[in-house]
Amino acid sequence: MAESEQDSTVNQEQSAKQVEPDNIQADDEKRPEKDMTDVMRGSSSLLAPEGVQSPPQPQPRPRPKKAPELPIFECKNWLIHQHYIRKEYGLCKSLIKEELQESQGMCEYAIYVQALIMRQEGNIQESLELFQTCSLLNPQSVENLKQVARSLFLLGKHKSAIDVYNEASKMNMKDWEIFHNLGVCYLFLKEYSKAKENLKLAIQYSRHEVSFQMLARVYLLEHDVDMALDIYKRAVEFSPENPDLLTSLGLLYLQTGQFQRAFEHLGNALTYDPVHVKAIMAAGSMMQTHGDFDVALTKYRVAAASTPESAPLWNNIAMCFFGKKKYVAAISCLKRAVYLAPFDWKVQYNLGLVHLTMQQYASAFHYLSAAINIRPKMGELYMLLAVALTHLEDEQNARRAYEQAVLLDQKNASVNLNYCLFLMNHGERKAAVRQFSVFEQKLQEARKHSNSVDQELLDMAARLGPSLHLGENLVWNKQQGADGANSQPPSRAPLPAAHTNDVPPAVDTAVPTAPPAELEPTAPPESDLDALPSPPSHPVEEETDSRREAPRRVAMEAD
Amino acid sequence: MDLFDEDVGNISQPSPIALVEAKRERRQPRNQSKPASHEGNAKWLHAHYDPYSTLYTFSSCIALADLHGDGDNKLIIANLGTGKYDMKLKVYKGTTLMTENTIIDLPTAVCTFFMDTHDPRTPAVAVASGPYIYVYKNLRPYFKFTLPPLDVNPVEQDLWNQAKEDKIDVQVLKEMLESLRADGSEGTLTVRSLRFLMLDPEDMPTFANLHKHSPLKRQTVITCMTTLKKSHSEEDAISCLVIGTESKDIYILDPEAFTVLTKMVLPSVPVFLDVTGLYDVEFRIVVSCRNGNIYSLKKGSKAPKYSIELSSQPVGLQRMGKNVVVGCMDQTLQCYTTKGKRLWVLTLPANVMTMELMDYKSRGFKAIMVALDNCEVHVYNEKYLVNTIKTEDIVTGMKFGRFGREDGALVMTTKGGGLIVKILKRNSVFEEKDSRPGPPAAQNQKLNIPKKTKLFVDQTMRERENAVTMHRMFQRDLYRLRLDAARSYVKALETSMTPMSADPLEPLKLSATVNGIGPSFKLTVNLQNTSSATPSINLLITFQYDEKLYQLQRSSIKVPLLVPGLNYAFQTLVECISDKAIADTIKVFVLRKGKSMPIITGNINMPVSEAQVVV
Repeated sequence: MAESEQDSTVNQEQSAKQVEPDNIQADDEKRPEKDMTDVMRGSSSLLAPEGVQSPPQPQPRPRPKKAPELPIFECKNWLIHQHYIRKEYGLCKSLIKEELQESQGMCEYAIYVQALIMRQEGNIQESLELFQTCSLLNPQSVENLKQVARSLFLLGKHKSAIDVYNEASKMNMKDWEIFHNLGVCYLFLKEYSKAKENLKLAIQYSRHEVSFQMLARVYLLEHDVDMALDIYKRAVEFSPENPDLLTSLGLLYLQTGQFQRAFEHLGNALTYDPVHVKAIMAAGSMMQTHGDFDVALTKYRVAAASTPESAPLWNNIAMCFFGKKKYVAAISCLKRAVYLAPFDWKVQYNLGLVHLTMQQYASAFHYLSAAINIRPKMGELYMLLAVALTHLEDEQNARRAYEQAVLLDQKNASVNLNYCLFLMNHGERKAAVRQFSVFEQKLQEARKHSNSVDQELLDMAARLGPSLHLGENLVWNKQQGADGANSQPPSRAPLPAAHTNDVPPAVDTAVPTAPPAELEPTAPPESDLDALPSPPSHPVEEETDSRREAPRRVAMEAD
Repeated sequence: MDLFDEDVGNISQPSPIALVEAKRERRQPRNQSKPASHEGNAKWLHAHYDPYSTLYTFSSCIALADLHGDGDNKLIIANLGTGKYDMKLKVYKGTTLMTENTIIDLPTAVCTFFMDTHDPRTPAVAVASGPYIYVYKNLRPYFKFTLPPLDVNPVEQDLWNQAKEDKIDVQVLKEMLESLRADGSEGTLTVRSLRFLMLDPEDMPTFANLHKHSPLKRQTVITCMTTLKKSHSEEDAISCLVIGTESKDIYILDPEAFTVLTKMVLPSVPVFLDVTGLYDVEFRIVVSCRNGNIYSLKKGSKAPKYSIELSSQPVGLQRMGKNVVVGCMDQTLQCYTTKGKRLWVLTLPANVMTMELMDYKSRGFKAIMVALDNCEVHVYNEKYLVNTIKTEDIVTGMKFGRFGREDGALVMTTKGGGLIVKILKRNSVFEEKDSRPGPPAAQNQKLNIPKKTKLFVDQTMRERENAVTMHRMFQRDLYRLRLDAARSYVKALETSMTPMSADPLEPLKLSATVNGIGPSFKLTVNLQNTSSATPSINLLITFQYDEKLYQLQRSSIKVPLLVPGLNYAFQTLVECISDKAIADTIKVFVLRKGKSMPIITGNINMPVSEAQVVV
C-alpha cells in the first residue's frame, strides 16, 4: 500500500503501484486514508530537522533502520523560476540564498538565476563568475556556456566571448542564438565578413527579427545600402507588423530617394504603433517637406509626450512653426533644442536662419559662427554667414565667407548665385559673371539628377542673367547701395518648389518660404530699383536649408 | 454563509440588473469591501475582498470544483504558507474557509479531476508537491503517487552496495564518489551521495550507516501539472494527470491505476503546460520551458515537434482555439499558431504577473486575462483589449470559472496575500473590438511652448534697428577681451605668478591649503618636484601678507632638497589679528637663494576668521 512506498523498501515502484490501485478499489475508503495520514505525519516530523538545514542525523526512533528522506536539491527550482519571471527579484534572491545554503552552493539552477538577476542589476562581472560556476557544475550545458559568453560580451570582451560561443556551437550545431551572437561579436570587432556569415547562418537556422536588423546594420556599416534594403525587405516579409523594421525600411527608402515607398512604410509603422517616435519623426519630416505643417505638428505632439527631451524633435517642431511663419514660437523651440543639444550644428544652423529671417543679423551671426565651429567644412554655412555679414556691413568678411563657401560647396547652385549677387552689388561684374556661369553649370547638374529646382532660384537667375549681360552699370551700382543689405532678405522668399528635391530636409525647406514674407516689407524700396538682384540671395539660403536638413534628418533617425 | 446561493433564483429573473445591484447593497457591509469605483470594473460585481487572507499562491495552485456533487463549486487553494512551513490545502465554500489540510512540502500545482465513474460524481483533488502527487477524495487523503525514480549511475549504485556489505570503508566511498562527481559524464549523483560528500569527515560514518541499507534512488521534482480527458470530453469524464518534471520529462498518468501511460522528453525543464484533446483519441500538449522556448507535443510523439523561440521568458501560457497566447517578461503579449508562426504582438503597459483563460461558456465568450503589476487585469479578445479591471493590489494568481452557483466568477489572490472575488455581471457585453481610442491621447495635448515676452519683442526690435552697431561693439569688445587675456597671461608667465613653474630648469608644482576656522589657521604649502630625475636644492618659501591683518609664525621656510616626484608639506600658523570680519589674500613665493625673482607664486584666499572666543 501507500505505506510501503514511504518505507522506501519498494524500489520498483512501478510494480507496487500497479498492485495498489486494485487494492484501493477493493478496500473501503477509510483504510487508504489512514495510511495516507500516517505517511504525511510521519514525513512531516522527519522533515523538521531538514528545515534547520542540518544534515540528517540518526534519530532516537523506534525504527532505526528507516533512514530519513533526503530533500532533493532542485525541489525549489520551480519556485525560484516562478518568482524570477515575475521579476520579484527580492524574493528570488532570498530563496536562492536559502537554497544555496542548504545545498552548499551545489544547486545549479539557483546560481543560474542569481547570475541572471545580477546581470539585470548591472553587476556583469559577478554574473560572469556565477555563470562560470554553473558551467563548472554542469559542463554539458550549452545554456550555461551561452550565458558565460553573453556576460563576456556585455563586458566588451568580444574575443573571449567568441571563443566561448565557438565552444558552445560544438555542442549544439544548430542554435541560431549562438550564431547570431557570434555575428554581433564580429560586428563589434569590425570583422564584417565573418559577422555576415554568422548572421546568415543564424537566419538560416531560425528567423528572428534581431538577426535581420544586425545583418542590415553590417551592410550599412559597409555602405551597402542596397543589400541592407534587401535584408529589411525580407525582415518585413517575415514580420510584417513590426514597427521598428517598418521604420528602418522606410528610412532606407528615404535615403535612396524612394519617397513614396518610404512614406508607405512609415505610415504602416504608425498604424501598428501610433506612438513610435522614430517613425513619427521620419514621417513628420516628410510631411514638412510637402508643407503639411499642421499634420506634422499633430504627429510631433505624440512624440513630444514620450520624448520631451529630444533636440531633433524640438528642432523639427520649430521648423514647422517657421513654415507657418510663427517665428517667435520657432525661436522658442529652437532655443529649447539648442539647450538640449548644444553641439548640434543643425539646430544652430536653423537658429541662424530664423534670425536672418527676423532681420536679427547680429544674433544670426553668432549662431552661424557657432555652427561653423562645430562643422567647419560646409559651404552653405559660410554662405549664410556671408549673408549675415553683408547685412552687418562687414563687406570684407562677407567676401571672405563667400569665397570660403564657393570653395567648399560642390553642388549647391544658390551659393554661387548669392555670391554673384553680392559681387554685382559691389560692382565687380566680371567676377559676378564667372559665378553666374558656375551657377548655371550646377543648375544643369541638379536638373540631371533630380528634376525639380527651386522656382524662386530660377526666377532670380532669370532676372539676374540679362542684367549681367546688359551691362547697365549704373543700375547695378544703385542697387548695390540700397540692395546690398536688403536685397538678400527678399531672396530668401523664394517659393518652396525646391523642397521636392530634398525630401528629407522638409523642415528646413519650409523655413525659407516664410522669410520672404517677413523680409519683403523692408525690401520694397529696393524693388523699385531692381527687383531682380535681391531675390537670389534668399533662394540660395532656402536651398541650403533644405539640403542640410536632409542629412540631418536621416542622421537623427538612424541614431 | 451562502453567499452564492442567493443567485439561484436569479437566473430566471427578468431584470437581473436590479437584483444584482440590490445584492451588492446587502453584501457590502458583510464583506467590508470597497465599492468598485473604476470605470473598467463596471462589468464586474465586487463580491469579496479580504486583504488579510495570508495567501501565498500561484494560478496553478488555484482550482474551482464541485467537490461534494451538490452543485456548489468550492474554491480550492494550495497555500505555500510562509514558503517553509504552514503549507495548507484550503477549501472555501463561498468565501468562508471550509477545511484546511496540511501539506508536507511546497505545493506546485493543484488539479481537480474525476478518477472513477462512481456516483455521486465528486472529483478528486490532486496536489503536486516535490516528487509526489497527493490525491484527496472527499477532502480526505486518499493516495500518494511518487514519480518514477531516475536511473542511478551504476558505479554509484555499486559503491553503495559495497558499502552496505561493508566491503569498502567510508573513506574509500568518499573518494570514489568525489571522483565520480568530478567526472560528471553520467549526469548528477543521487541526493544521498551529494549530501554525504557535504558532511564533515567525522559525521560520514554515521550517515553512511544510517542510509546504506535503504535502496539508492534518484528522484526528481514536479514543476507543473494539468489534466487531460481520457476518452470522453464531457465535463465529468475521467481525466488523466499530465505532469512536467525537473528532469525534463512529461508523464501522463492513468487516473485509476496511477501508472505512467506515456512519457515524453523535452529539451528543457517545463514551466507551463496546456493540454487539449482526448488521451485515447488525439491530444496536443503545448509546453513552455525554462530555456524560453515553447514546444508542441502530439499523441505518439516522444519528442517535441514544433518549437517557438521567444525573445524573453514566458510568464503565462494559454491556448485560444488553435493559437497559443504567451505573456513574456519583456512586457509583451504574443500570439502564435501551434506551428510556431507569430500572429501578433502587443506591448503591455506593465510587467505580466499571471495569465488565465476566461471561458464564459454561457455566452460562448473566450478571452485571455492578463494580470499586470500595475494593479490591473486586462482582458484581451484576440489582440483587442476589451476590459480592464483595477484591483486593490497586484494580482499573482487568478482563476475564472464557476464558483458557488455563479458561472462567471473571477477569483484572484494578491501579492499581499489578499483574496478578491469578482462576478461577471450577466448583462455585461464585451465588444469584440479594440476599446483603445484611435489616436493616442497625447495627440490632443498642446505643445509646451514658452510664450513671447514683451522684453523679447523689445530686444528683437532693438536688434533690428541697431544690428550693425551691436555687431561692431561686440567684435571690438571681443578683440579687447582677447588682448587683455593674452597680456595677463604673458605677464603671469614673466613674473612667475603661476603655481606651476614654466621654467624647465625649475620643474616645481605648488599647492596650498588652509585649515581651521580662526582666528588661528594652519597654512600648509605642498611642493612637488615634477622633474623625472633632477632634485631641486637651495629653495626658500616666503609669504607676502597684510601685516595689519595677519601674523605668521614663520614668514620664511627653508626648503630641503626636493626629491623628484615626492610631495613635501610645509606648515605655518597664521593668526588673524584683526577683529573686523575681513579676509585677505596671502601670497606664497618659492624663491631660489640669491635671486629676488620668485620661481612660482601661489595666491591663497584666506577665509573670514571667526571671532575669538574669550573663555
